[in-house]
Amino acid sequence: MASTVRRKPAPAPRPSPTAGLTITPVRTAAELDTFVRFQQALYSSDPNYVPPIAAERRDFLDRRHNPFFAHASAELFLARRNGEVVGRIAAVDDTAYNQFHNTQHGFFGMFDCIHDASVAAHLLDAASTWVRARGMTALMGPMNLSTNHDCGLLVEGFESPPCMMMSYNARYYAGLLEGYGLRKAKDLWHYELSTMTAPPEKVVRVAERAREQEDVTVRGVNLRDLSGEIRRLKTIYNAMLQRNWGFVPMSDEEFDYIARRLKPLVQLRPELCRIAEVRGEPVAFALTLPDANAALKAADGQLTTWGLPIGIARIALAAQRVNRLRVLLFGITPGYRKRGLDALLYLDTLRLARERGFVAAELGWVTEDNALMNRALEAMGARRFKTYRIFEKRL
Amino acid sequence: MADVFDKCTNWKDYKIAKATGLYPYFRAIEASHAGTEVEIEGRRVIMVGSNNYLGLKDDPRVKEAAIAATRKFGTTCSGSRLLNGTLALHEELEARLAKFLNREAAMLVSTGFQTNLAAMSALLGRHDIVFSDRGNHACIVDGIRLSFATERKFRHNDVEHLEQLLQQADPEAGKLIVTDGVFSMEGDICNLPKIAELAQKYNARVMTDDAHSMGVLGEHGRGTSEYFGLEAQCDLVMGTFSKSFASLGGVLAGPFDVINYLKHKARPVIFSASMTPASVAAVLEALNIIEAEPQRRARLLDIAEKMHNGFRAMGFDTGVSVTPVVPVLVGDQVKCFRFWKALHEAGIFANPVIPPAVEPGHALIRTSYMATHTDEQLDRVLETFEKIGRKLNVIPETRPTSYTPVKIARPGTYVLSNEATQRWAAASAGLLADKGFSLEQISRMSGREVAAKLFDAMETLTYRAANLQPDDLKRLSTMPMKLWEKRSELPGLLLEKGATLFIKNGKQSEQSERN
Repeated sequence: MASTVRRKPAPAPRPSPTAGLTITPVRTAAELDTFVRFQQALYSSDPNYVPPIAAERRDFLDRRHNPFFAHASAELFLARRNGEVVGRIAAVDDTAYNQFHNTQHGFFGMFDCIHDASVAAHLLDAASTWVRARGMTALMGPMNLSTNHDCGLLVEGFESPPCMMMSYNARYYAGLLEGYGLRKAKDLWHYELSTMTAPPEKVVRVAERAREQEDVTVRGVNLRDLSGEIRRLKTIYNAMLQRNWGFVPMSDEEFDYIARRLKPLVQLRPELCRIAEVRGEPVAFALTLPDANAALKAADGQLTTWGLPIGIARIALAAQRVNRLRVLLFGITPGYRKRGLDALLYLDTLRLARERGFVAAELGWVTEDNALMNRALEAMGARRFKTYRIFEKRL
Repeated sequence: MADVFDKCTNWKDYKIAKATGLYPYFRAIEASHAGTEVEIEGRRVIMVGSNNYLGLKDDPRVKEAAIAATRKFGTTCSGSRLLNGTLALHEELEARLAKFLNREAAMLVSTGFQTNLAAMSALLGRHDIVFSDRGNHACIVDGIRLSFATERKFRHNDVEHLEQLLQQADPEAGKLIVTDGVFSMEGDICNLPKIAELAQKYNARVMTDDAHSMGVLGEHGRGTSEYFGLEAQCDLVMGTFSKSFASLGGVLAGPFDVINYLKHKARPVIFSASMTPASVAAVLEALNIIEAEPQRRARLLDIAEKMHNGFRAMGFDTGVSVTPVVPVLVGDQVKCFRFWKALHEAGIFANPVIPPAVEPGHALIRTSYMATHTDEQLDRVLETFEKIGRKLNVIPETRPTSYTPVKIARPGTYVLSNEATQRWAAASAGLLADKGFSLEQISRMSGREVAAKLFDAMETLTYRAANLQPDDLKRLSTMPMKLWEKRSELPGLLLEKGATLFIKNGKQSEQSERN
């Protein structure tokens, strides 16, 4: 008889893993500060982690200070367990991206979390809910906060510190994201090239031929007319990347915002930023900068201590010893490709870097399916040493 | 030893407000010119702070009716409805209102406040559960306090939260959902369609407080439930006469048994003198006009749309309102007082609304309109707001290139509220109050915390200074000039910033209450 079947006594209630876990949106300045500093606290024992300047991050995430928010909106979430912060995430709705690609993708980013799947799931849930409420059909990330900033989750190459403007994270993150049902959307490859690598003969030949063309000149950045140079670079930048995966055109304000952060690095080694001109018109550039992360690490996230500019001094000192470079951008205006300008810029930069004592340069990122670029980099002797992954999930 | 008077003698807020000349309350009106303009301190000002929505309080027909009733019945009834205070006039009005509101019965109460007090306190028993919107008017809150029922408050207009609470409640208990129809400060409408649905699902009764919507919303002006076409699903409806009905008092309408019970049991009714003959007669005449002149309602909603859009075009935030209640967000409490004062000096009567009526950091100037306002008066109001808004940095120097036009709750439409801007949403959730810090907070912090705050500020400043561009420097160099141009505003500005240290937008008092 069914009624006589005794059910097993219910097990004693175990504390659920989500007990005491709350996800709250960041509203106040104090919470924003907590949001920024959480990463630093989480990675305090990781030797490869480079803490960003907290004040810079705060301004970056402040919609009054960052022009990115003119075309995008974002919500930041903090996960707390019994009052203690255990995770953070940003949900982003970038109108510029969705208009450009004609998609309905919401982003997540600034993802940091203790090694706990339930915390990660709750954070990603919060981000999903937020972007879904704005009509998005897919969640993509990590984007901190777009492809014009650092993006991707490190899945290979944990041995060394990240290069400047690249993200860094613990190994277990990929498991957390996959556990939530996020799948790979695209891998971004990051290369390293030792300045001691001899350039392939073919490249040298191509470069020599390009140099012999009368109308081509290669020069460094003119520091006296920096704003004009920035304007010229921007034109090339927006023209060249159009067809690339994940590209979003930058507004003037955004370009300036990023340019003014890079300016000190350009000023440090202006000769390394090469611009190729054809009949006086800039058509290609290779933006190579000293890897600021090595210097940044010395400051440990703050410019001042007790109100004194100790961090700044540390950065300035460490900057003198930076011996790595990042080739941040490399671009040729369509129509001037296949004229050997790339080889010319590459050789030129390599020569200058060697002369100035830099031992290696990092190049990236390049999407995994950009066969042309990947083959070219490998031909130059570059070694793929980090892989960043963008995940996605349909909502 | 404590003295109950201590809190009165120690109360600083009034003294500060008086001393700074920013005291906006108890302004004596010396004369009324058709209601749309009044005289204060011998000056004529435009009234946009009254709830006389249809402009009937100065209508000669209504005035005449009140006078005639006084001639016939005297100035008062000298007693409660239960005993000697019932006139034929009261019964006539109850019958008329029951018919107007499509209900079995209606009862009159001497004030609107008492009406909810009576309904809540007498209707709710010890085992009942009442679900009340957090934004409900104080009389509902107090009525519930007088009852012995369990109160469950749901977040303002958050029907999901309401459903959660209904789910958690004992299915056997009697349940009442009570909500304002139109919320008096923010001007949005309750989500009655969903509330009615939930009430049916969870076997609860529904009561709406239509103080601000009776005479305003719906084809015939019967309020929120008529507007949504849900009169049958709304069990009890409450209204007040001090708004559209140009009088004083309140009405509760519903099933005969309920009304009859309350008439005999509700202490705020049986222990209070009944409505004066003049008040009752005024309502009767106002009701005639409301039924006969629907064009007044149409005009009122036209005005509401004009004003909302006018403010929005200038860059003001009028929030979620879909009604003739047009709140203008200022944010800071002291700035709100300054705004009010500047309006007052420029000849406009509007009301500053500060915590606890709204969340800290959500101070606003509440304006409301009458069907009898002329376009010239309204244009003058808009002009003045723009001038003052710019002066006090509430709106930008130049008008924004675009704005979202307002949606108005006209008959036949189906809108609850306009979409809140991010700032409005944050403010109404009380999230803007944390900006800045107060002296009291500092005094509670340890020396180390104060130092940490200071160094943090230094860090931010250093970072920004390190990032200064030539353009920024140029802008900085014009600062002294700008300050000089704004020198007349400086004392007010300093006052605002200084006052924030002490009162912090009303957050402080709330904290000390909790402590």
